[in-house]
Amino acid sequence: MKFFCSSAQRSPMAVSKRIIWMTGILLAMLIILGPIYLLVKYSISDGPSITTGGKPIPFWPLHPTLSVYGYLFSDRHFYAVLGNSVLIALMTVACSMLLGVPAAYILGRYKIPGRRIVLLGIISVRLFPDIASVIPIVEFFIFVGAHQTYMGVILSHTLLALPYVIFIGMGAFETIPHELEDQASVMGANRFQTFYSVLVPLAVPGLAAAAIYTFLLSWDEFIFAYFLTFGRQEMFTLTLYLNGLKYAEPQNLLAATSVCLSIPVIAFSMLVQRYMIAGISSGSIK
Amino acid sequence: MADVVLKSLMKRYANHVVADRLTLTINDGEFVTLLGPSGCGKTTLLRMIAGLEKVDEGEIVIGGRRYTDLPAQKRNCAMVFQSYALFPHMTVRNNIIFGLRLKKVAPIKIEQKLTWAMNMLHLKGLEERLPRQISGGQRQRVALARALVLDPDVLLLDEPLSNLDAALRETAIEELKNIHRKVGTTIIYVTHNQIEAMTMSERIALLNNGRIEQYDTPRQLYDHPATIFTAEFVGSPSMNFFKGEISIEGRTAGVRTSIGFLRLNKDRSQRIMSMEGKEVTVGIRPQNIYYVEHVAQRRYTDANIELVIELVENMGDRSLIVGKDSGGTLVRFMVTREEELLPGRTMRVFIDGRSIHLFDPLLKLNIFRRDGTI
Repeated sequence: MKFFCSSAQRSPMAVSKRIIWMTGILLAMLIILGPIYLLVKYSISDGPSITTGGKPIPFWPLHPTLSVYGYLFSDRHFYAVLGNSVLIALMTVACSMLLGVPAAYILGRYKIPGRRIVLLGIISVRLFPDIASVIPIVEFFIFVGAHQTYMGVILSHTLLALPYVIFIGMGAFETIPHELEDQASVMGANRFQTFYSVLVPLAVPGLAAAAIYTFLLSWDEFIFAYFLTFGRQEMFTLTLYLNGLKYAEPQNLLAATSVCLSIPVIAFSMLVQRYMIAGISSGSIK
Repeated sequence: MADVVLKSLMKRYANHVVADRLTLTINDGEFVTLLGPSGCGKTTLLRMIAGLEKVDEGEIVIGGRRYTDLPAQKRNCAMVFQSYALFPHMTVRNNIIFGLRLKKVAPIKIEQKLTWAMNMLHLKGLEERLPRQISGGQRQRVALARALVLDPDVLLLDEPLSNLDAALRETAIEELKNIHRKVGTTIIYVTHNQIEAMTMSERIALLNNGRIEQYDTPRQLYDHPATIFTAEFVGSPSMNFFKGEISIEGRTAGVRTSIGFLRLNKDRSQRIMSMEGKEVTVGIRPQNIYYVEHVAQRRYTDANIELVIELVENMGDRSLIVGKDSGGTLVRFMVTREEELLPGRTMRVFIDGRSIHLFDPLLKLNIFRRDGTI
């Protein structure tokens, strides 16, 4: 028996297992990092590294240069667009959280009548492709006078993000023990006080995930922003700006803009991700 | 501090009745335990008093004030949950003063209260810790401190000691008794552990299926169980029950059972004289059956029963013996020593006539009522 259990027998198994794992991880990293590498590479490439005249494109630019970034940052319109995107994304996060978190709490904690229908209504926004729902929604926005306003874009993004915020939030609130709520109310807290001083702090990890998702959604969104800012260049968001660069010179301007587009998202995610710590509620029960 | 009056409370869940016209009066400053098996409705009753469960019918009056329809946050109750329910994101300090802040107590007063509670419950130095950074016993004390600083009309405790190990539990029982003596708050304590109930409470309400079986002092509950359920539930190991019939032998009345004729003491024998032939359920605690070598043999030779030992269960200082008589009836009793008592051995036991309980098998009630009437 001892022979079969010896480490000489077991280690080949472990090694082959490890090789499979490592290969998998490397592949995954390649898939994720590959495009990022290409993007960064193109953004710092000089002309001859892109237009090689038949020769293979080098893995690293012949003469790396930041000149295109210089060009980009000298464009005043770019700053305005960047500002628009940041403003709209942050406002969308604020609006979605303000509306979505209380809704998630009520829908997640209470068996209110018609709960299922309400949930179905909320999710129905996402049952249609954006391209299909954009026309009627924009028409409605025009009707109420929200067309070509920041508020219009923010509200449309909030509309898209709310189902996610509500569903992620419901999950976050469901994991909080009911006894904490009972305890708070026995100690004299009304429903609102219980909500903001006990439940919200404990739901923060889940809500942070929802916030990151909402930010990303607004940042990436194209169709609604396109129709709602139609014809008003000064209200464009980064995605719309990028759309305008399709045939622009120099050729790597698009790559540089894409890099600039990613950085705020990464920054926001890293900032908020600190709140996504697991086990915040440990120690409450037992 | 206040007295608590529950007037014929009713509470149903779907087809399950958890409180069935339940009436209970708890005096100001009294320590009362709601004791009962799991699912008897004791926790629900506590939650109704706290305002966490709606009352279907009946009334809750605390300190002369009608509480029945008052929401939980407007009642002046404090509660300690079985799980303690400490707020995990708040420090010990913030957990304790949470309720005081909500009540808008002056900051100086809050500090005083905090210091008072921290001292009384030996929590000094833990102010800035989070619940997950302290031990189970400390969490239990924080939960208690958090309740006590509120000066509640009534303190509700829902099995607060069930998560502690045996040694800690004993200390906690002592502590809780001390606190009750010092603070004098009315305490309603829920447990299924009869030792906790017996050692701490002034009165015990024994619950069964949403009804109160008996509401009495721990001593009365043990010595004079009013019903078969009480007799069975209170006391460990639980009581022996035999079928019997009241009969008269010579000039005294007793009960004829499968293990033989059991003589009662003179006083009670007189009281059942007129009931000859009545069927009864006989209850005898294992503690009241003696190994004959332990008692003066000459006096009790006529009350001997011969048993064959089936099982010996070591309980530390004593042993529980399960013996079988010639007719096959099992009798459980206690002995202080177990050396030679091995299964298969024959032994003689004596049953103390003063400690025999007689119950009506249909009404499930004790034949000897506490007030002496039959």
